[in-house]
Amino acid sequence: MADLGSHPSVPPLRDGLVPRQAVARTEKRWLAIMLAMLAVMMAVVVATGIVGSLHPSSNVEVIDPVTLHLKGEFVESNLGTAIEPDGSATVRIIAQQYEFVPRCLLVPAATPVKFRITSADLVHGFMLPYTNVNTMAVPGFVAEVRTNFASPGEYVMPCHEFCGLGHQAMWANVRVVPSEQFGDLGPTGRARCDTQ
Amino acid sequence: MQLDEPHHSAAHSRDNVAAPIGADEAARALKDGATGAVVVAGAAVGLLFLGWLAFYFLLFVPRGPIG
Repeated sequence: MADLGSHPSVPPLRDGLVPRQAVARTEKRWLAIMLAMLAVMMAVVVATGIVGSLHPSSNVEVIDPVTLHLKGEFVESNLGTAIEPDGSATVRIIAQQYEFVPRCLLVPAATPVKFRITSADLVHGFMLPYTNVNTMAVPGFVAEVRTNFASPGEYVMPCHEFCGLGHQAMWANVRVVPSEQFGDLGPTGRARCDTQ
Repeated sequence: MQLDEPHHSAAHSRDNVAAPIGADEAARALKDGATGAVVVAGAAVGLLFLGWLAFYFLLFVPRGPIG
């Protein structure tokens, strides 16, 4: 063991200790590895995207936020879960400072569910746990996303776009019930948690 | 260890620190490049890549498309 002397500090090694060819070889190999990894990731994304028809929610549909509550599909009596003739469910929701309407969504399990959501004031976020559903609710536009809850359960649904001082309190619940228990749609024909 | 003892890191003891090497010895160790650094960086990047693949195929893809 070399003698460190009274102080452990030693002069730094000089530059250029690694041969230039070794540095160049390492850089080339590293570049090749990085390019190969990028190629694999791109191939995986493109292949699964094409095979599984994966794509961002691209529904572009405009709506007048001023008359949202007065006419059209987002009037209060039409909010909640509707069952379509083909057995699928359509859920209509309004996001506004600082709540989702309805406050608690009721949806059937193992059933195709289509969410249609818009905002009455400013940009809010809409995400559903354990699914890939994650979109923004933008005033003037209707966002539409589809999913299928595999099993019943109670999920929270937070707003994930900062929307003001009450943002952290903007939560909704999603109650997923077995499809055979999803019966009574209530007087408006639209299911919410308070109709069952 | 007594609480009132002054704290020293492991590097405080000379027995825990590798002896400095001279320029010639360093040049000999590095003549084929910094292989140890490449191994460490390769392992880190490889684990990151495996993590990406795991998230993609075990979490993202099974949750299905949303559009």
